[in-house]
Amino acid sequence: MMRTIRRTLLAILAVVVGVMLDYTLPQHDVVRVVGTYQERQDLESWTRIFWSSPDYQSGTQPNRDVQFIQTYKKKTYLFGFIRSDAERPMVYRNEDTSWSWPPYFKFDTATLQAEADNLKSTQENPKWAVITKYGWRIQLFTAFPNAMAIRAVESPDVTIIPWFNIVFFAAVIALVLFIRAMWLQFRQRTIDPALEDTRDAWEKVDAYADERRGRVSRWWRSWTGR
Amino acid sequence: MAFVRLIVFGFLFLSVIYLAVSFYSRSVRREKLENHWAEDHPGDTDSIERDAYIEAGMQAYRKGFRRKLIVLVYIIPAIAAAALFFLIN
Repeated sequence: MMRTIRRTLLAILAVVVGVMLDYTLPQHDVVRVVGTYQERQDLESWTRIFWSSPDYQSGTQPNRDVQFIQTYKKKTYLFGFIRSDAERPMVYRNEDTSWSWPPYFKFDTATLQAEADNLKSTQENPKWAVITKYGWRIQLFTAFPNAMAIRAVESPDVTIIPWFNIVFFAAVIALVLFIRAMWLQFRQRTIDPALEDTRDAWEKVDAYADERRGRVSRWWRSWTGR
Repeated sequence: MAFVRLIVFGFLFLSVIYLAVSFYSRSVRREKLENHWAEDHPGDTDSIERDAYIEAGMQAYRKGFRRKLIVLVYIIPAIAAAALFFLIN
């Protein structure tokens, strides 16, 4: 029973962390930019969590202008590892993340918009580009992934190495191993000796109680004769 | 404002890590000294000489360079953030 509860909680935790990582870590899309626009967005509902908090928005404004990049992207599956030839429209927001979460310190929204404008092309004469983005497109909640960088590429079959994620997961693994070593050391050198002290004290109490009980039963036996 | 928040919470978070790492490092050093003594003096687990040896070793550790390396706990994240800043922008 306890084991089932433990496993369920761990599974829920793993799913939550995985979903947060999928939202937050950068992914790459091969795209063809078809347009850019700027539109005022109301930011008062709970879907506020799908928008950034750049510094110029003090947190009190109910709405502000957001820039967008309209593209056609190569469809991807399995966290972007498998890319197909099919295309589908994708719209990115282009917002500063500033000093807030996620910590990418993006301040070059205006520059990125100019770069995207420069890469605009048509279906007949496509110019391909790789967009680095985080976040999801959820049409129901009007959520857009945030574009962080764009670079032109020769062909849509470009090989993309996710350096950031490689370094990130290597750091996470190193951190987990280090924390484990720290915990083992702490348990061996600090917790176990303390427990042993408690056990020693308890054994003394126990031995004393045994002795007292022995005396009482001997006295009792001296009366009953058994 | 967000910058101040980042600095303050980042500093607090890294300070917790700093304290944990220095506690761990001290513990590992003490264990090493104990093992070293046990190798040279089998059977001796509780003598004045042993205590003096371990105290001297810990004193040397406190003044040593290795302990100062723990400051990297602050420096590496700062460098990573700066690198990210220049790569993104």
